[in-house]
Amino acid sequence: MTGPAGAGGPALAPRNELVDSSGRLRRRLLFDRAIGWALPLAFVAVLFPLFDMLYWISTRALPTFTWATLTENQVGTGGGLYPMILGTLVLIALGTALSTGIGLVAGFYTSEYAPAPVARVARIAGNLLAGVPAIVLGYFGYFLLVLYTHWGFTALAGGITLGIFMTPYVYRTADVALSNVPPSQREAALAMGSRRDQYLVRIAFPIALPTILTGIFFAMALGLGEAAPILFTAGFSSTPITSLMQPTGFLSGAVWLFYDFPSTYGSFLGLAFQAAFLSVVIVLALNVAVQLFSDRYRERLRGLYQ
Amino acid sequence: MGSAGVQPLPEPAGGEPAVPPSSSASDRSGPSLWAWVGSPLALIPLVLVAAVATVLVVASGLHNFGGTFWGILYNFVPGDPGGSSWGIGAYVVGTALTAGLALLLATALSLALSISIVVYLPTVASRILAILTNLLAGIPSVVYGIWGFVILAPFFGLTLEPSMRDAIGWLPGFGGPASAIGSWGILLAVFLLTIMIIPLTTALMREALRSVPHDLVEAGLALGATRWEVARRVRMRSARLGIWSAILLGFGRAVGESVAVAMVIGAVPRLPESLYSPSTSLASFIFYQLDSAFYYPDLLKFLVEVALVLLLISLAANVLAQRLTRTEIATATTVGAAGGLETQ
Repeated sequence: MTGPAGAGGPALAPRNELVDSSGRLRRRLLFDRAIGWALPLAFVAVLFPLFDMLYWISTRALPTFTWATLTENQVGTGGGLYPMILGTLVLIALGTALSTGIGLVAGFYTSEYAPAPVARVARIAGNLLAGVPAIVLGYFGYFLLVLYTHWGFTALAGGITLGIFMTPYVYRTADVALSNVPPSQREAALAMGSRRDQYLVRIAFPIALPTILTGIFFAMALGLGEAAPILFTAGFSSTPITSLMQPTGFLSGAVWLFYDFPSTYGSFLGLAFQAAFLSVVIVLALNVAVQLFSDRYRERLRGLYQ
Repeated sequence: MGSAGVQPLPEPAGGEPAVPPSSSASDRSGPSLWAWVGSPLALIPLVLVAAVATVLVVASGLHNFGGTFWGILYNFVPGDPGGSSWGIGAYVVGTALTAGLALLLATALSLALSISIVVYLPTVASRILAILTNLLAGIPSVVYGIWGFVILAPFFGLTLEPSMRDAIGWLPGFGGPASAIGSWGILLAVFLLTIMIIPLTTALMREALRSVPHDLVEAGLALGATRWEVARRVRMRSARLGIWSAILLGFGRAVGESVAVAMVIGAVPRLPESLYSPSTSLASFIFYQLDSAFYYPDLLKFLVEVALVLLLISLAANVLAQRLTRTEIATATTVGAAGGLETQ
């Protein structure tokens, strides 16, 4: 009945051969199968909220969404979100420039040059900074960049605070991605006589690029959504900025400031939903862009390296 | 194949390849620009963490709030700091309840999700799901907040909470009266926090379960254990430190979330009577109060001390998590989803 199962069989014995051997085993296998069906149900608990949220945000935002939403200033409780869109782009650009500048170079250093103890400390500190709550960074930025510098609320202070918030994500991704490049690549490059900086820039960086970009885009999405640190450094404004030393509006701030007005207050709530919708669209676009890019890029790399 | 390097290499071409195991051989070019520029930049995070702590300590002046700081009662009377009561007890309770319950739910769900991905689901399915959960991680917290405030709150207040009261009202905390100010309260905050931290905890747990040595897993299967038994008794046991680390980091994230919680928790600094009561949390409190604090120096000092408490809690959770495992913390969500090239 039991057949030749076991004797000299492969490590992963085909389970069907074992099914007949005892009732207890059959029960265990059934349980295994049931768990295999039951556990993925948890995805419903996660994906249903996601789609519900996307559905409702678009349903509430789209009916009143017009071209003017993108191009006009907010006037009273109506108008458009142009100043906030502009402010968001400026803040994200500042934050991305700062965090990518620091994070990439620091990642290069940590993954390739840093002596082991220094790398250890730098990595721990990077993870720690990522764990500091955004609102606490907002307080830090408020005291340092708004009060201490006597700048007041400025887009520059907001951009710098955002950069601080984004830096650990870029830094840690860059370091991990560069450190994860297969050692054979490094050994081959060095054996061919390349210098370490040549290896880093020409070999490791292209291999790590998709992951690094994912990290940067993820940091941008996170930064885009953080209202707390920006509100207390960049302030808020309903007119488009003309200089970095002015307070500026931004999309997540618009959601926070407009969300709890009852519908008697004109279209504040509508503006809040439109700002939320625009943030989601930007996050979606970032996600899709990085996904497309890394898929294409990996195809190309595969052709080159394998 | 003789080495065709431009620079002369000391090794004879026919002998051992003699790849230098240490990197010292390549130092002949002298210190690189990257090392010069990179070494101070790599210390920036360390400097920033220290600077954040220092600035908060200086700004608060470690002001003494009459020993009532850890008390329950908070009652700020504008213009009368002496007559105000400065206690963060209610905020601590609100934070512990919301973050703790969200963490419980998120842990259970994340374990289910990560085991499904690692053990049961085909690669294509888990890749699609990874992309979707990543999207969940990227959605701004204000979007969660407005969705909770406008869309979910009526459902919670009119449908979910009454039926929970009917079904499991005998459990402590589940039977209390409805929130007096609408449907905003602890339960809604717990729900939002749960789905907000799931992407992080799932990514970390997935990496932990996946990095269990293959020989352990195969030994379990070879002994006739089912996939579930291997997952439960080999993977989960072997990855337990990583799982705890994920839980701690999820806790840090949940405690630090300010905006979404501020939008749905009701912002009432009292001890809650039930899960349906409005409450408040440390992070949301220092978020929605800061603009009034611009006018009241005492309130500002108090808020900064609360921010300091919050910083200490999150740093402690983070340090502990890092001690437990070497899992890459900040980046697990991104790197996990993108997948290193070497795994392809």
